[in-house]
Amino acid sequence: MGSAVRSALIRLCEFLLTALLVSFFTFSAFAIIPGDTARVMLGPDATEEQVEALREELGLNAPLAERYFDWLKNACRGDFGKSLSFGNPVGELISSRLPVTLGMSLIALIFVVAISFPMAAVCSRNPGSIKDKSLSTAGHILFAIPPFALSMMLILFFSKVLHIFTAGRYTPPSDNFGAYLASLILPSLCIALPKIAMTFKFLRASMIEFSQGDFVRTAKSHGLSDLRIMLKHIIPNSAVSSITVISLVLSDIMGGSLIVEQVFNLPGLGRLLLAAISRRDFPLLSGIVFYLAMMTVILYFLADVISAVIDPRIRDGRAS
Amino acid sequence: MHNGNWKKILAGALTLALSFSAAACSKESDTTDGDAIYGGEAVVGITQEPMVFDPHTVVAAGDREIIFNVYEGLYKYDSTGTLNPCLATDVAISDDASEYTFTLREGVTFHDGSEFDAADVVYSLERASELLPELASIESITDNGDNTVTVTLSTPNSEMLSNFTTAIIPEGSADTIGDTRIGTGPFVFDSYEPGIGIVLTRNENYWNPELPYLDKVTFKVCADMDAGLLELQGGAIDIFPYLTTDRAVQLDPNTFDILSLGSNMVQALFLNNDVAPFDDVRVRQALNYAVDRGEIIALTMDGAGEPLTTAMSPVMGEAYDTNLDGVYNQDIDRALELLAEAGYEDGFDMTITVPSNYLVHVNTAVALADQLSAIGVNATIEQVDWATWLDRVYTDRDYEATVICLTSDYAPYDVISRYATNNDGNLINYSNPNVDEIIENLPLTIDEDERISMYRELLGYMTEDAASVYVQDPANICAVNNRLTGYAIYPMYIQDMSTVRLASSN
Repeated sequence: MGSAVRSALIRLCEFLLTALLVSFFTFSAFAIIPGDTARVMLGPDATEEQVEALREELGLNAPLAERYFDWLKNACRGDFGKSLSFGNPVGELISSRLPVTLGMSLIALIFVVAISFPMAAVCSRNPGSIKDKSLSTAGHILFAIPPFALSMMLILFFSKVLHIFTAGRYTPPSDNFGAYLASLILPSLCIALPKIAMTFKFLRASMIEFSQGDFVRTAKSHGLSDLRIMLKHIIPNSAVSSITVISLVLSDIMGGSLIVEQVFNLPGLGRLLLAAISRRDFPLLSGIVFYLAMMTVILYFLADVISAVIDPRIRDGRAS
Repeated sequence: MHNGNWKKILAGALTLALSFSAAACSKESDTTDGDAIYGGEAVVGITQEPMVFDPHTVVAAGDREIIFNVYEGLYKYDSTGTLNPCLATDVAISDDASEYTFTLREGVTFHDGSEFDAADVVYSLERASELLPELASIESITDNGDNTVTVTLSTPNSEMLSNFTTAIIPEGSADTIGDTRIGTGPFVFDSYEPGIGIVLTRNENYWNPELPYLDKVTFKVCADMDAGLLELQGGAIDIFPYLTTDRAVQLDPNTFDILSLGSNMVQALFLNNDVAPFDDVRVRQALNYAVDRGEIIALTMDGAGEPLTTAMSPVMGEAYDTNLDGVYNQDIDRALELLAEAGYEDGFDMTITVPSNYLVHVNTAVALADQLSAIGVNATIEQVDWATWLDRVYTDRDYEATVICLTSDYAPYDVISRYATNNDGNLINYSNPNVDEIIENLPLTIDEDERISMYRELLGYMTEDAASVYVQDPANICAVNNRLTGYAIYPMYIQDMSTVRLASSN
């Protein structure tokens, strides 16, 4: 397990460096782009005196560098401060938006796994067959459609043609869990479809490769059925190699959900992120960016750990 | 590029204009005769996250319109824009307009049960005069001991009464008012949850025993107008103000009353008077003659707007000069003549900087650019985000032209005082010594008729100077589920829920 600890440490260092760089870039961007938080909050009808008073109250009159280092100091202690424009603690605001973003990511992941594995299994059995060709073509088309465009098409189809979906209707999980899931399924599908195509393409290739492997020939000579070989040998083998792909897909899914929730009008992290930018709310924006960076690093780390657990070659350090 | 947009707007406008004119506009939802129904609740959709509840530090219109139901001042506006006695029953203004003596209403209690009296008035106005620029001219407030309070001003101001709508809060509550939110209004502040909304409940001990009707009012935060519209159609929201016409026509007229009223806002193509060629009055006049306001209103608001030729909306009443109506009716020949006189017979290039988050202003800019091309003016539209607009255009005045709405309270002085040469809000760098003098003298003038003629004189100067291309007072459109009645649109940012009631008991 020594290598696992080492890789965890490396990941941690990577994460801290990423977080530091990201916060520095965010801060630099805020220093360059025009816009004054206090003026945005009060609007054009407020007098210069009122804006000045609010600027003072929010501590915006201190030099930028000083504000950044203050923020950094507190962030190191785990205190991300309060949002300038909402007045609530940043952590509280982020966690209030998580049910949407995390829920969507999770459902999308389930779609990816549940659809791409069977598709790949079917295709890899007879590469070049009609079935394989038509599924592969469908995959290519899906892969080429960006999620936001797909979102608009699906919204039109499901709400205006079928009348079974209302864009923008969102029920918090605490109110009605079924309705909560229902409100997230379509957006999750929009995020998932291009990723399904990507995962499918990878899995298909790796399954074809494995199905030509020696162990499959051996299994065949022992008289195992094709189905048994697929379930017991080919899928588990490609699952290991696909974990890295899936962890990549997952961070894409989180990024995708930030965009798709705009189209579907859902109160998720993406909307909060946009609000933070348009209100020039540095603490809130840094908090969200930090959180997203952290999630990405954690996902990669988990992928490492899971690979190690299920693949003895990695676990024992036998892999390259 | 803007040609495509233009066609899109035109197509949209044509389809919507018909349907909207059918859902015709009134300013109050139908009132039923007979006994009014008490009880029930209503949900109002808001698209802005509330922020500040201290009535003396609140600035955002979105906050003020909500706490109007919770706090009250000595005087209070009604939906016609008239000031009525509220916590005062009467006022006596000294002949030189430097002393206002208020007789206070008796038997009023705050939401916490404590008695309202002169000490609260003195305390609140003293605090407010330190925090609010419009009350800064208060020199002293005296409790006369006979349930009257006298306010003395350092500079006489005949239009001060509108500023006494400032909230009266319990004596000594300065440090807690932002959290306790105790006022005397028809509704009691119950709770606020960020991202969710504000709940108000009926004030059982309101001094006017007939009001309010509803037991509970919720101001629910919607992500944006479209999200709110869906909730309105789904029945989660009953009242949704500040709709655009294209959204309003989507609503079923059997379920919703669509109300509309001039909003007392001034939308214009503001021209930076310091920047060439707009430093030449002939160029500014030429642009005014080049524009067809009726067409722009039809395209951007489906006709739900009042054309403007000057810096004040006709909604403002007496202070507005109806002689100015139609002064700058479209006259392309006149516009070309003026441009030629100014040495721009071949036209010129200009940039209109618009905040991208306001679709109406972006569309107006597109329509304006198209109309201006008829006189050889080639306008490029630059969209910037709101924060950038505030910084670059409003604060730094680093722009050529912009489209925006200016709002103000229902006080003509607030509307025009920003055009004084040195005013912080004078975003167009307008400067006319005659106008400066009138703005300075207006508060010192007691006689109502004289003040009105001063306003009209001032508007005359501004029209002659073609300070900017004033376009329209866009109507404020509100949808109300017809299970409710009694809602009234105000010509300012106020959501008065005290008169709203259920239309029938089932």
